[in-house]
Amino acid sequence: MSLFVASIGFGLVTASVLAIAAVGFTLQFGVTDVLNLAYGAIMIFGAFLAYAVNQAGVSVWAGLLVAVAGCALVSVLLNVGVYTPFQRRGSSPITLVIVSLGITLIIEFGVQAVAGGTSVSYTMGSGPTLRAGGLNLTGVQIIIIALSVLVMGGVHGLLRYTKLGKAMRATAANQSLARNCGIRTGRVITVTWALTGALCGLAGVVFAIDSGSFDATATDLFLVLILAAVFLGGPGQAYGAMLGALVIGLATEVSAAFIPADYKYVIAFVVLLVMLGVRPAGLIGAQA
Amino acid sequence: MSAEPARPGLPLRAQGISAGYGGDPVIRDITVAVAPGEVVSMVGPNGSGKSTLLKSLVGLVQVARGTVRVGEADLTNRSPEEIARAGVGYVPQVDDVFSSLSVRENLEMGGYLLRRHEVTGRIERVLAIFPRLSSMLGRSAGKLSGGERKMLAMGRVLMLSPGVFLLDEPTANLAPKVAGALLSEHVRQLAVDGAAVLVVEQRARAVLAISDRTYVLGGGQVRMTGTPAELAASPGFVESFLGGGHAAAPSGEV
Amino acid sequence: MSSYYVLNLVIYATVDAMACLGLSQQFGVAGVTNFGFIIFQAAGGYAAAILAMPGQSANGGFQSYIGGWNLPFPLPWIGAMVAGGLLALPFTFLVGRRLRGDFAAVGLLVTAVLLNLLVTNYRPLLNGDAGLSLIPAPLRPQGFSTTSPAYQWVFAAGSALLLVAVFWLVSRITQSPYGRSLRAMRDNDLVADSLGKNLLSLRTGMLVTGGAIAGLSGGILVSYITTWSPAAWGYAETVVLFAAVIIGGAGNHLGAVLGAILVPVGFEEITRFIPSSNNLPPNLVPSLEWVAIGLLIVVFLWFRPQGILPERKRVIAAPVTGTPTAEDGKPTACSRAAPAEVAAAGGGQRPVVLAAQDVVREFGGVRAVDGVSFQVRKGTLTGLIGPNGAGKSTLLAMLAGTLPVTAGTVSYEGRDVTGLPAFRRARLGLVRTFQLASEFRRLTVMENLLSAVPRNRGDSFRGALLGPRYWRADEAAAIQRAEELLARFGLDGAANEYAGDLSGGQRRLVEIMRALMAEPAVLLLDEPMAGVHPRLARRLGAELVALCAEGMTILMVEHELAIMDEFADPVVVMAEGTVLAEGTMAQLRGRSEVVEAYLVG
Repeated sequence: MSLFVASIGFGLVTASVLAIAAVGFTLQFGVTDVLNLAYGAIMIFGAFLAYAVNQAGVSVWAGLLVAVAGCALVSVLLNVGVYTPFQRRGSSPITLVIVSLGITLIIEFGVQAVAGGTSVSYTMGSGPTLRAGGLNLTGVQIIIIALSVLVMGGVHGLLRYTKLGKAMRATAANQSLARNCGIRTGRVITVTWALTGALCGLAGVVFAIDSGSFDATATDLFLVLILAAVFLGGPGQAYGAMLGALVIGLATEVSAAFIPADYKYVIAFVVLLVMLGVRPAGLIGAQA
Repeated sequence: MSAEPARPGLPLRAQGISAGYGGDPVIRDITVAVAPGEVVSMVGPNGSGKSTLLKSLVGLVQVARGTVRVGEADLTNRSPEEIARAGVGYVPQVDDVFSSLSVRENLEMGGYLLRRHEVTGRIERVLAIFPRLSSMLGRSAGKLSGGERKMLAMGRVLMLSPGVFLLDEPTANLAPKVAGALLSEHVRQLAVDGAAVLVVEQRARAVLAISDRTYVLGGGQVRMTGTPAELAASPGFVESFLGGGHAAAPSGEV
Repeated sequence: MSSYYVLNLVIYATVDAMACLGLSQQFGVAGVTNFGFIIFQAAGGYAAAILAMPGQSANGGFQSYIGGWNLPFPLPWIGAMVAGGLLALPFTFLVGRRLRGDFAAVGLLVTAVLLNLLVTNYRPLLNGDAGLSLIPAPLRPQGFSTTSPAYQWVFAAGSALLLVAVFWLVSRITQSPYGRSLRAMRDNDLVADSLGKNLLSLRTGMLVTGGAIAGLSGGILVSYITTWSPAAWGYAETVVLFAAVIIGGAGNHLGAVLGAILVPVGFEEITRFIPSSNNLPPNLVPSLEWVAIGLLIVVFLWFRPQGILPERKRVIAAPVTGTPTAEDGKPTACSRAAPAEVAAAGGGQRPVVLAAQDVVREFGGVRAVDGVSFQVRKGTLTGLIGPNGAGKSTLLAMLAGTLPVTAGTVSYEGRDVTGLPAFRRARLGLVRTFQLASEFRRLTVMENLLSAVPRNRGDSFRGALLGPRYWRADEAAAIQRAEELLARFGLDGAANEYAGDLSGGQRRLVEIMRALMAEPAVLLLDEPMAGVHPRLARRLGAELVALCAEGMTILMVEHELAIMDEFADPVVVMAEGTVLAEGTMAQLRGRSEVVEAYLVG
């Protein structure tokens, strides 16, 4: 039983990392209609930026800020410099996915070329361990959960209450009509990529913290979890991504209490394939 | 019906417009003018270029030749968002609401350019004009009936009190009674409140009943223009709908 | 350079080239984007291994795996092909459905990663992460020493021979009428469906074929390197193969081979020429190679998406028999009805060929078609008119089967076809055209026409394999018909132009001619005159009337009412989703409710 409760704790941590990542991914898709498979690569890029800062003797939390800024910049450049030109040319969605795979190779192995192939870890303490009612979480893990909750709250606040959030939702819902309302959708899209790029960087660093040790290819498998969460909730739906992250995060960790730990990701894969086959619009999305 | 004076209407002057989707122009040398307080309609058979003209006025279609002036400003080939900011409201024929958002959110999006404190007041004004919408503020726009959806689409535009109103076949897919009410009660009222209104319509009879002037398009050009009374009396008017578009009118036919 | 090195290179090159040919056939020719391609090669590799290896315990007992039947060559390689082909079958659910292209591709990519994960972790299956080793090389029991140069030569020769065989196979498939159907499906699957192509069957065929080829390549590779582990087939390997096919030229089989030489092999060999230095981190060069591949993918897709060797244009020479004049008396787009039958029906009521009964189409709360019932009689050119939003195109789509009905029935030649998919209706003779441009852009005009022919012996997998001698006669007859049709409509000069390069009006004509090539008994035309010059429109109308005199039935949605005047009888008026009236244009003009419908809208 205590194993079960402990796994729920781990599930919450995984769900927290996943939520930050999945919300960013899904918002990018919602506003530009591109499955940015390079998202995982940009995450690990951010993780290594923080590592570089960390190696210079600074706390990894300061490195996190550098990662956030760096990934925001890279994401904006990616959309403006690569995806938008291809879309303007009328390239098919398949072409864009292949392009995003190419970008993944460039970024991921670019990082590996610079940082080397061995696994690294951040120099940081894990803080006091909380043991309560079967839960078994370190201080850092609790910080990650708290960060994620903050970010979710922030995203919710942004989308519901700010002008920018409204503009983002309008642009995602109907870009042409949004322009007729006077919304400068070009700017909105660029800002969206900057914000989601920041989320991507944040997700990369907390992912690396939670994983302990990581190398340049560490996010390959994680991207599948992100896709599973996104498609469960419905591509483009921010709240769907949050829900999907919670479900996938818990399901993978809780299943590890019952089946060999190596198979815990299988659940995510199965969920994703079932969603694609049965209801691609997701649980929350409207039927196409 | 309106509680406060609307933003003053702006004159619309489109001069010698030729436009298309790349390749040959779909419309050639069209000149249209609408004064504040007027309802001007544009009718004609399918493929005559009515929608294309409206889209070229709001920046959705490239204008190859000619100018578009609203008030003092030259808006030819500007982006749709700049044209909206210049006071031009556009109700498209399809995809006219944010289907995934609620009715209230649609109106809020319409009021995007307003200052925060103005939004609530404007929403009240719009609801006063379209009382049916008050009972469905929380409903998703995609679930509205045809007539309600069009009212929401117009309400969304009304949030900014534009000086010029462009409507693309507002009664398409509406039952005749609803269509008639929409045109006579709401579209007419826009002009009464001071805006310059340009309506493209298939339902020629219904829109003529509320128009001050009408343009008849055919084959991408203006074929006839005049007041509804003048047009109704002209024999060529009915022919231009049933006689075959841009082909030469069949000789000796009914 | 030792001969060993060269032979090594040759064997790797043939294996990669074979895999790329399979991928090129799937992706370049048929438009099936299989991001899970590598697992088919993996399946072949594992199959060959477990078929060739002795039983687990007899093999030292330190590897755990299923199978182990110690089968002699060539059974393991045959098994590899079969495994690759069979593995394709479960994947048809992702590719056959109408799932967005990029979503389906992601599904396949994820499946590849999932299977890699399962094999890695479930050791009893295929020895997990460590993989299989000590895989017996082929013909070893026969006394060949596997390290001798002679063996290497034989292996390389055998591998090259198999590559040639695969090349021959994919070329034969692609050059046949079946291959043309694949390319049509790639260019516009919706239209191919409406012309009688069974998309699910075509895609399944390509998945199985490509899978079998990939499986064989895996079997050969495994037999050579005698080991096989999950590390050899991660999803990065699929990306490399896609890069190879894109760079070499998707849709061109020589391009696929070239791509294989340039990318997987080329990158492998480049490392030998880069001087190793102790200053550089050990994995720098491999990492930079991956970066280079990623860069090449993006650069090529932007600057040269057709690849180094683009798909060749298939120019079809005019048949040797004399070219017919434009005023050829005998109509060439024969319909399936006997003209005599129709002439005899003459003054009396002609039989009903197509009927709609209480058909309703509702979507998103809107009733586009609200209870329509009407009948189309054989040999008539029936017009369907009405104001915008009347539901004409929607009705036509439901008659053709490209849109499902919400309620009501559609019957064709007395038979209820409401549940029949579009491609089956097309094969029965109920063919439609589309409103918007829908030519197969990367096929020539002639190929567009030929793709619609309903009975060509080469238009099946078996027919393609049997080769040109089998389908040559049918093809020549089809070409003859197409030439006559082109001449009749004045486009014979453009026969070998890409359909996508023609003007709007010409593309319209191609579409109509293509529909006629399908030998329809009932032809549904969706605004055929849109964008067509009035004089040409009149000629087209006259042609259509002539076809009806020969027994074809035509239902035409149009806005050009002058055309209806001259050619259509009867004319049906729709408004607001229902049928309003029926009669000749002259009669309809006199009826006030019709006039009102047009003016009232």
